[in-house]
Amino acid sequence: MHAPHCGNRLRRAFIGVALFGALPGSVSAFTATLTPVAPQTVYLQVGVGSFTGDYINGGQPQNNTTINTVSATVAAAAVGNGTAQAMTTNSSATQSFFDGFTFCSVPGQVYIGGFYRTTGANTSAALVTAAVPAALTNATGSTIPFSKISWTSSGNADAGAEPFPSGTFANGAMQNVGSMGSNSWNESCLTFSYANNTVPAAGTFTGVVLYTLSSP
Amino acid sequence: MAASRSCLEPAFFLVCAFSIIWASAAQAKTTTIDDSGTQALEPSVSMRWQTSTPSRKGGANLMIGTTTLRVRLNVTPWLHRACRIYLDFPAQRPGAITTSWVTQGRFMPGQVHSGNRVLIYSGPIATPFLEDVMKFQFSLDGSLISRATPVTFHFEMDED
Repeated sequence: MHAPHCGNRLRRAFIGVALFGALPGSVSAFTATLTPVAPQTVYLQVGVGSFTGDYINGGQPQNNTTINTVSATVAAAAVGNGTAQAMTTNSSATQSFFDGFTFCSVPGQVYIGGFYRTTGANTSAALVTAAVPAALTNATGSTIPFSKISWTSSGNADAGAEPFPSGTFANGAMQNVGSMGSNSWNESCLTFSYANNTVPAAGTFTGVVLYTLSSP
Repeated sequence: MAASRSCLEPAFFLVCAFSIIWASAAQAKTTTIDDSGTQALEPSVSMRWQTSTPSRKGGANLMIGTTTLRVRLNVTPWLHRACRIYLDFPAQRPGAITTSWVTQGRFMPGQVHSGNRVLIYSGPIATPFLEDVMKFQFSLDGSLISRATPVTFHFEMDED
């Protein structure tokens, strides 16, 4: 009575072994590790800059150490009369290196633009700051506060908020002048003016503002 | 009795219908292939921006990276049979990934998005191993990745 039953069990066990023997010896999935390499890139241009060509044609950002000037010459009869004086620049940058579009007009506007490249989903904006001296000075040490200089922000065919909004320099401050969302091109044209509402000593007054782009 | 028979008939046809569907589905047999002999020529895939600068409105965030695999599939169980081999790229973290590849001729070149599979070989299995050198290019949105991230894929056999 029991022998056929055992035989059945043995046969089942044998079939089971045979099926396992038919399977491949080692089944596996292949793993590739994707590693971001040097993913962060920043580019800031104030005034003239350098690209090997327009970006949309394959241009790449380059270094440019030029320091552009913005100036106003106030006629003696107009000094301190409260009429703001438009300032002009020696910058020749009118076209966006993104696509060659004529975005700014010279000598009335200074191009400011750039981008901030980074990976990941939760990215803060990169900040552009201006290191502003307390005052412009002349050869005899007389001063004009930097806060007498303001700017308005625009751009040809632009609409909506500018990434670098209008403002006024803060004397002796590290001043936020704009921000760049990650992975987008940001640009504005700044039109500077001198308030001309005080009577300083005669002379040529100068000062240097340093713009810096800081990524998170 | 007549009433009882009429109740049973629908049940009988229902069982038959299920049996037919089940038999049809059972014909497609998919098995993961042993690819343990596969070697990567680079330890990791270096992902770089496809374009160094972004677009004016954002976007243009594609990162790409390439790696070369010396693929060796153990197809001994299917020797002397006609089969189809697929590259299966499961949906996985960090999100939507696309990979494309070129080969040296044993397998077919192609492209697949994560969550899908694509045919790379169809025909008879004449040797215990199928080998080829496959150069893969992975691409994904840079916002999905900020650190080294493993992704997996495997090869599947569909028997004719």
